[in-house]
Amino acid sequence: MNMQTAITMTAAETVLVDAYTAQIGELPGEGAVLSARDTLLADLKKQGLPTRRVESWHYTDLRALLRSVPAADPTAFAQRVDPLVDGSSVLSVLNGKADPKGAPAGVNVRSYRESLIDGVAAADLVERDADDAIGRINGSFVRDGFEIEVTEGTELEQPLELQLVQSAGQSHMRFPVTFGANSKAMVIERHLSVSDAPSLVTTVCDLIVDDGAEITWIILQQQGEADSHLAQVNFDLGANASLRLFVINAGGKLVRQEVHGVTTGEGSDFKLRGINLLGGETHTDVTFTLGHDVPNTTSTEVIRNVLFDRAKGVFQGQIRVAPDAQKTDAKMACNTLLLSDDADFSAKPELEIFADDVQCGHGATVIDINPTHLYYLRARGIPENKARAMLVNAFVDEIVEELEVEAVIEPLEAIIAIWLEKHA
Amino acid sequence: MAAVQETIDQVALIDVDQYKYGFETKIEMDKAPKGLSEEIIRFISAKKNEPDWMLEWRLEAYQRWLTLEEPTWARVNYPKIDFNEIYFYAAPKSTPGPTSIDDVDPEILKVYEKLGIPLREQEILAGVKTPRIAVDAVFDSVSVVTTFKEELKKAGVIFMSISEAIREHPDLVKKYLGTVVPTTDNYYATLNSAVFTDGSFVFVPKGVRCPMELSTYFRINEKGTGQFERTLIIAEDSAYVSYLEGCTAPQRDENQLHAAVVELVALDDAEIKYSTVQNWYPGDKNGKGGIYNFVTKRGDCRGKNSKISWTQVETGSAITWKYPSCILRGDGSRGEFYSIAVSNGHQQIDSGTKMIHLGKNTSSRIVSKGIAAGVSQNTYRGQVSTHRKAENARNFTQCDSLLIGDKCGAHTVPYIEARNSSAQFEHEATTSKISEDQLFYCLQRGIPTEAAIALIVNGFVKEVIQELPMEFAVEAQKLIGISLEGSVG
Repeated sequence: MNMQTAITMTAAETVLVDAYTAQIGELPGEGAVLSARDTLLADLKKQGLPTRRVESWHYTDLRALLRSVPAADPTAFAQRVDPLVDGSSVLSVLNGKADPKGAPAGVNVRSYRESLIDGVAAADLVERDADDAIGRINGSFVRDGFEIEVTEGTELEQPLELQLVQSAGQSHMRFPVTFGANSKAMVIERHLSVSDAPSLVTTVCDLIVDDGAEITWIILQQQGEADSHLAQVNFDLGANASLRLFVINAGGKLVRQEVHGVTTGEGSDFKLRGINLLGGETHTDVTFTLGHDVPNTTSTEVIRNVLFDRAKGVFQGQIRVAPDAQKTDAKMACNTLLLSDDADFSAKPELEIFADDVQCGHGATVIDINPTHLYYLRARGIPENKARAMLVNAFVDEIVEELEVEAVIEPLEAIIAIWLEKHA
Repeated sequence: MAAVQETIDQVALIDVDQYKYGFETKIEMDKAPKGLSEEIIRFISAKKNEPDWMLEWRLEAYQRWLTLEEPTWARVNYPKIDFNEIYFYAAPKSTPGPTSIDDVDPEILKVYEKLGIPLREQEILAGVKTPRIAVDAVFDSVSVVTTFKEELKKAGVIFMSISEAIREHPDLVKKYLGTVVPTTDNYYATLNSAVFTDGSFVFVPKGVRCPMELSTYFRINEKGTGQFERTLIIAEDSAYVSYLEGCTAPQRDENQLHAAVVELVALDDAEIKYSTVQNWYPGDKNGKGGIYNFVTKRGDCRGKNSKISWTQVETGSAITWKYPSCILRGDGSRGEFYSIAVSNGHQQIDSGTKMIHLGKNTSSRIVSKGIAAGVSQNTYRGQVSTHRKAENARNFTQCDSLLIGDKCGAHTVPYIEARNSSAQFEHEATTSKISEDQLFYCLQRGIPTEAAIALIVNGFVKEVIQELPMEFAVEAQKLIGISLEGSVG
């Protein structure tokens, strides 16, 4: 678009570009990795951060929203916390430094830093498309993360928690994960903030779900009110594989969670469930694209949003059905409770269909709490604020219940309840 | 599966080449040289005896247009338009302004006859019991004849060509022209503002219920002429008007550009109903030729409790890029959009609506039915938004797509933007093919496949057809039939 004209860089853009020059000597990886980084940064420099003129960033003007970027803070200190679910195996990344110890049997882990150093990572450091600002920032600065392989046939009894704790500064991490054929696992990707200092965290997870694997991946984002969080999950689903992806956003100042997937094996099933609890001044964007590339695949997406205060929420969801992907069944719903006049929510559910023998649909609603529901509860002596909280809770709890495992549901419900108490 | 195969076979047989209205009339034309420049705009303005302010308005738009870039966001593909290869003005030569229907070139009348337009007053009057229609027929940019002028005059309704209105009612035109679609609006609207050649002007004064349906038939005729219509409809307080627009164009080899602008203004308690049946030449079966239809249509519900309703049946054009919208400015105003978009052959449609809720207690309703066949691409693109102050905004949107054949595409791109907690938005979209169950049910009762598909498709679009005025509903159903010939009865 404006590629020929040199852009005037914003403060955040300048910090990013300068930081690259400053850090270049210490970023892990040489040769191909380094040149991949250079290419990504050159693109970032050339195009700047995306504005609303870029269609996929229409509702999240990153250039305007990312006003400042905190400098890397080598003195920042962060500590492990207890896992969300008792008995989980924990792999932690504290302020961007990954500790590959603690993997359960059947799971091979090494730090992504090693992949960067030995050059294996070079192939990962590419842009998804011309609008991939997250891939660009992350790829330029990535220092660590995990390379994980859940071996064929492995069935994990307990969840595997990827615990990402940030206290200040910046962290850029990558997680290439392969789930071997017929493996079963639940992974909890948990983002925590342990201080009020602003931070910038970017993550890219590349998931390969092989034939017949059954995977549940939960993203629980609880960053601080001053934090920016740019995350991307890419996945590829093999034949008869199933992936359930739960995204729970309950924090952060500027949050963009992208999910991009393709089904490459027949009979695969994908589920996206999202809960966005948005309060304060947050701007939270969940952007999702799914390509049904082969016949006989199914997907459902249900996103529930609750907005208080001056929060801004965005959901963009695109389902593509390739020309030969007959018998695709895809359904998407985005429901929003807009509870404040100062909050706003934008939804863009998209269908792009090139095959005829399909069932595809989407629905989107935006509404306040139903007054008759409220009346029903109040008529039974429940005070208004409590009644409202009950109704909001019921609205999002439906999603949590789908996890079915009580040990996971309980702590998530507790987090939601605490959040609602604070904001309602 | 047999029935599905049959459907596909039948769709494959559809010969979009056999465009029913693809004839060409040989009438002497008065043309400006090809291309666009200030001189051409001065020429157009002079040809139409326009006042200076109008010329300035055009030139300003032209200067603006030169700075704009052609939009590329729509899901349509076409070779770049060479604006220097287009005739921006073409008028039938025989018109020093016909005074009665007998003065009109019989060639032109024959064209309308073939189209079945009830142009002759006596024909209309003969059908005493059927509702009467006033026709302002547009034949390549210039209004040829206007009927029923007298009766409308009695009611106080002004219905004339826009060029006439610029001369006769400059104050009204000046007051409203460009207030809904400003000259700076978008690439094609700006182009239209610079070069528009004709169109209709309707003014319904306070408290008047327009005594008849107003109707215009657009027709693009001369080779290589872009047609730039400008329509302006104003309904004053408590007025009501129903306007019908129908289009057919003859077969052409090269692509023709059509960039119209339609502006509607509804004041307090006024209601405007705007219906379109568009059946321009869609190109041949290899995707050659056909009309480029890049239209900006927008209604402004300016007054309290005003209502604007768009109904469209889009079956023609090679490329359609059209978003009839409503700005719900007045408190309690209401916007409606009902659409059937049928694409076949190599047609590409990117159409939808915008409902912008600005006033309090505003409501809108969108029902869009897309039917894609052949190798066509059919996109619904729509926006529903509320302003922060727009309390109790209410929207219901339903977009359904039906796919016939596995080479076509149906897409839905809605933008839903809520800025107020009292907003209540519902949106749903579905895409599927003709249900096997429904087909089976019909076949089992001895209904042949073709008739069964016709029945199902008609059921699919019924909700929208019902919104059309009677006369149009019949034509629309016929057009859908022609468009899907082979698969639909």
